[in-house]
Amino acid sequence: MEDHPKSVSLARLNSTRAGGCDILAVSMGTRERKPPGETLESWKQIAAYLNRSERTVRRWEAVEGLPVHRREHQKQDTVLAYSHEIDDWSRRRTRKQLRPVQLAPEPESVRMTPVLSGSVGAKSPSGNGYLAEHDAITRTIDLYIAGGRAGQADLMRPAFHPEATIAGYCFGVEYSGSIEHLFRWINENGPAPNIEPRFARIEIFETIAIVHLEVQCWSGKLAGRNARISEVFTLLNRDGEWLITQKTFHWHES
Amino acid sequence: MALSKYATEYDGIIKAIQMYIDAGREGKSEVMRPAFHPGASFFGYAGGNLAAGLPFLFDWIDKNGPAPDIQPRFVSVDILESIAVVRLEVDGWSGALSGSGARMSDIFTLLKTPEGWRIIQKAFHWHA
Repeated sequence: MEDHPKSVSLARLNSTRAGGCDILAVSMGTRERKPPGETLESWKQIAAYLNRSERTVRRWEAVEGLPVHRREHQKQDTVLAYSHEIDDWSRRRTRKQLRPVQLAPEPESVRMTPVLSGSVGAKSPSGNGYLAEHDAITRTIDLYIAGGRAGQADLMRPAFHPEATIAGYCFGVEYSGSIEHLFRWINENGPAPNIEPRFARIEIFETIAIVHLEVQCWSGKLAGRNARISEVFTLLNRDGEWLITQKTFHWHES
Repeated sequence: MALSKYATEYDGIIKAIQMYIDAGREGKSEVMRPAFHPGASFFGYAGGNLAAGLPFLFDWIDKNGPAPDIQPRFVSVDILESIAVVRLEVDGWSGALSGSGARMSDIFTLLKTPEGWRIIQKAFHWHA
């Protein structure tokens, strides 16, 4: 197995940024020099290795530092991961219990279950239809937050319905239309590492839902400093998966 | 002063939703069209199928025809300065497409435009 000197460990950046510690980053660096185990060459392979959906493993990379590498020389994201690094990450994650809610087994079974069926799989973290739906919604919004924090629209794309729209005003200019507007803005804005998101409201009505999110401390090329945004998301349950169909926002001008 | 401004915004929002209700009752989409933003969207499941797009809604209202006995209730009206969310429950839908006694849960999001409050999305859950 050859080493990949050109690969970049975004995971290292993420784990540091996510409030992780330097020790974590150093230990990962050391392990990279060891002969790698199995090489996983795509999101699909990584997902299969972890027995989770691609969406889940992308989220883990974004918010929990799953060690995924990217080849620098190609324009499009080509990812790879080493099984031994993933095993190490899994062990650390379990031991540290960084985020207890997400440590529970991924409710893949729930995602295939009709909405509010009342009986989700025995492996469900909650054993409760409502909690499973609620958690699935916050996970979708977490993807949006992760994308905003990193300044990378690709991280949040899977959270949105393909026909999703955006509406709101930014400094008096109406900003409405395709959600692609948002993705462009996120990429141009760049990282906003200090955003402080808070869930103000989550309401589920069987197949549709509303989330009101308050976000403070947006920063970046377009946001400036310490911006505050009130955001309302509407979501649709599509085949057990909650997708954002609209983001409306109010930009607070201080 | 703050109170009167709040009441003004609130009433502007109710006015837009009332146009939707009136159109449904009469079975005439033209009654509700001015309440919608030109870029508004529409989402939800009807009989297990995803219905999307504003033309679908307008067409449905026209084809459904009058639903004189609908019973709308405002569950919540939340205003966040330039945006708003309204939760509406409507029972007693009738008509050519809806059948009788149907119930719909609606979420409307609205945007405050220079011309007044406009619906920017209607998401719904049809209680089969």
